[in-house]
Amino acid sequence: MNLVQAPLRVADREDPVARPCTWCGTEVESAPDAAEVFCCSGCEAAARIISGAGLDTYFARREAMPPRPIAPGLAGRRAAAWDQIVRVSVGDELVEATLRVDGLRCAACTWVTERVILDSPGVVQAQVSYGTGTARVRWDPRQGDLTEALTRVSRLGYQPRAIDAAPATDRDLLLRLGVAAFSTANVMMLAAAVYLGWLGGMSPAYAMLFRWVTLVLATPVALWSAAPFFRGAWEGLKVRVLHMDLPIAIAVGGIYAHGLYATFSGRDSWLDSMTMLVTLLLAGRVLEQRGRRRAAQAAQALAAEAPAIARRISPLGVEVVASAELRPGDRIEVGAGEELAADGVVRLGEGRLQVALLTGESEPVPVGPGRRVVAGAVLVEGNLQVEVQAVAGDSLLGQVAAMLREAASRPPSPTAADRLAPWFVGLTLLIAVGAFFVHLQLGGAAAAVEAAVAVLVVACPCALALSAPLAAHAGLGAAARRGLLLRSGDAVRNAARVDLVALDKTGTLTWGRPRVVAADDAVLRIAAGIERASVHPLALAIVDEATRRGIPLPLGQAIVETPGKGIAGQVDGTRYTVRSGGAGQVEVVDEQEHLVGRIHLRDRIRDEARQAVAALQAAGQQVALVTGDHPDIAAEIARQAGIGQVLAGLGPTDKAAWIQARRAEGRCVMFVGDGVNDGPALAVADVGIAMGHGAASTVLVADGVLVGGQIGALRAGLVAARAAATATRNNILRSVAYNLVAILLAVTGLINPLVAAVLMPLSSALVIAGALGVERRVRRELEP
Amino acid sequence: MNAIFFLLPAALLLSGTFLVLYLRAVKQGQFDDLDDPPQRMLHED
Repeated sequence: MNLVQAPLRVADREDPVARPCTWCGTEVESAPDAAEVFCCSGCEAAARIISGAGLDTYFARREAMPPRPIAPGLAGRRAAAWDQIVRVSVGDELVEATLRVDGLRCAACTWVTERVILDSPGVVQAQVSYGTGTARVRWDPRQGDLTEALTRVSRLGYQPRAIDAAPATDRDLLLRLGVAAFSTANVMMLAAAVYLGWLGGMSPAYAMLFRWVTLVLATPVALWSAAPFFRGAWEGLKVRVLHMDLPIAIAVGGIYAHGLYATFSGRDSWLDSMTMLVTLLLAGRVLEQRGRRRAAQAAQALAAEAPAIARRISPLGVEVVASAELRPGDRIEVGAGEELAADGVVRLGEGRLQVALLTGESEPVPVGPGRRVVAGAVLVEGNLQVEVQAVAGDSLLGQVAAMLREAASRPPSPTAADRLAPWFVGLTLLIAVGAFFVHLQLGGAAAAVEAAVAVLVVACPCALALSAPLAAHAGLGAAARRGLLLRSGDAVRNAARVDLVALDKTGTLTWGRPRVVAADDAVLRIAAGIERASVHPLALAIVDEATRRGIPLPLGQAIVETPGKGIAGQVDGTRYTVRSGGAGQVEVVDEQEHLVGRIHLRDRIRDEARQAVAALQAAGQQVALVTGDHPDIAAEIARQAGIGQVLAGLGPTDKAAWIQARRAEGRCVMFVGDGVNDGPALAVADVGIAMGHGAASTVLVADGVLVGGQIGALRAGLVAARAAATATRNNILRSVAYNLVAILLAVTGLINPLVAAVLMPLSSALVIAGALGVERRVRRELEP
Repeated sequence: MNAIFFLLPAALLLSGTFLVLYLRAVKQGQFDDLDDPPQRMLHED
């Protein structure tokens, strides 16, 4: 290559060998006899923390390599104001906080993080959860705040972030379920004896004893365990909505009232069926709540932000403050790689800002004095002094986020089962009353009451109430295992109807950050050796690419980073400077300012994008690219991804309007985006999907999240949703068919408590089997 | 068949004991997180 003008000396010292970094596993060059090898001072510091805490077994236990930590000197840049974290008092002068910890990759990560937090001053309890990626920490505020503990965690490479509140638990439902299950088990035992007694003859004394014990056992189930259904039915009635809880409440209440009457008058009751019904329904509800909670937790965790800091310039010098403490008129300093903490006007300095998250533009825009800048933008290069105009909630970012949060709190739409409920209730009551009067004519009052109660019992839509939640839960699970986290049963139902998938460009179809597109191996090696400790976006891209190409990183020495001038360091005994070489370029020069080579960087399409788009199209989906970026760039990316329909230059509201128009045409639209500018579109789409790395507010407004940012998961998610919808439909058909047959039998007087006790669990089992089939169906379709 | 007057309360007492244990476990939060404890166990010293 002609660009290489300075000689490259690779093997200057005694032959270095490629060895993995002790901490993060990145291949680096090292002397063959070195005991430990580190790729950067960050990794070395992390390993020291582990050894210092006596946790060396971590290295043997880990199943995945940790993320590369940031070098200690640079960690301050991303530091957070941890003394400001939301905490709750838990008594004994202790406080507790729940945090998100990013980067946990295996159970050993969890363990080591937990130990390191626990080792810090003041901390009395720490629990890190791998499943949810959260840490619950309890500490004594008199002995310090969390700054020490969390700084050490971030030095290990795991990024702690704050989340709003501890997630709610489902303990209440579990308690109710426990009591119901206990009663059911015992009542069933008694009922079996009574039913067998029909054959062999049972002395009346025993029969009476069993009936009374049954009543005692069933009472807490009807009055306490089933309370959520009564409450739900009542809440529904108050707002004139008949939903699924109402027929359940009528059945439970009716059976219990009849049970009281029957027990006192020495007859058989239906209480055994009632306890089982309540148990099954509660179990279904626990499952439903668990699924919803997990999705909510994940969304909340993704939306987590560190309480950010800013560097304020005061007459005394530069002080570090929490960004919430900034006031309009303050002046702040922003360096390369940092995020703006507030809206304002540039007063001094020049640089280029990455505003992709806000506008969708992929190329960083140049800024200089007098230019307005907004919070959330990242300074890719340069150095600025900004006069603050609006902070936190008043900033543009804050306002959009607030708007989206509001949109996110929309109520869930009624399910198919809920829509059936009013008909169900009306029909059942009508038939029960009819049966009562017919049997009154035929066999007298006692037979009439029995027939009416029998109708109420078998008409209890237990299976129907379970059908939709169970199938939706199975669908949520199947999609989540493949990387698409849907937030609710609603999202699953809508996703099943999607026929148009609109994709945002920057950050969704593309990486959303600079990637190396062209570079010579030798040049890349030098640049990576010098930049490997830097957190600058371009530096990260260079080190990533070198690692991807399998180039062992040389150990850059005497590294000096000068803002605005680049990074200088020594590799193979020669001093090089790595600096910006104009838009989208980094150049490497030697001491005599001779150009050694250039590295070209650009945001480029994700590796799996083309395949993912093709899979969607093969499945009959129409795919469109909807972006705020320039038409030429959009067209090029669309060509690479194989997308025919391109809409470029659309602002946030234009995107939403375009989606509205398609919906008005009767299309069911899924929109996938990651930026704040995608927020309105995410909110109006039938299914809005946010990228896991995207802006916090988009995650809150979206119906689902692509957790790993793998757009290949879209197709799998749609397949799962479709399988769940099919299962729901089949389940509803099955349960309605069961109810119809059972009601017919009850009207004709053919049903007695024994038949009911056998039929009811059978119908529920059918529904459960239907839900279990979802995963199998998804697997069959995705792996033929 | 008088055994029933002994066996029935005994059965209720036995299952009632397990119910109480379960309720206590729930209240202590043992069912809040079902994913991590099995992992954690492998790393306890």
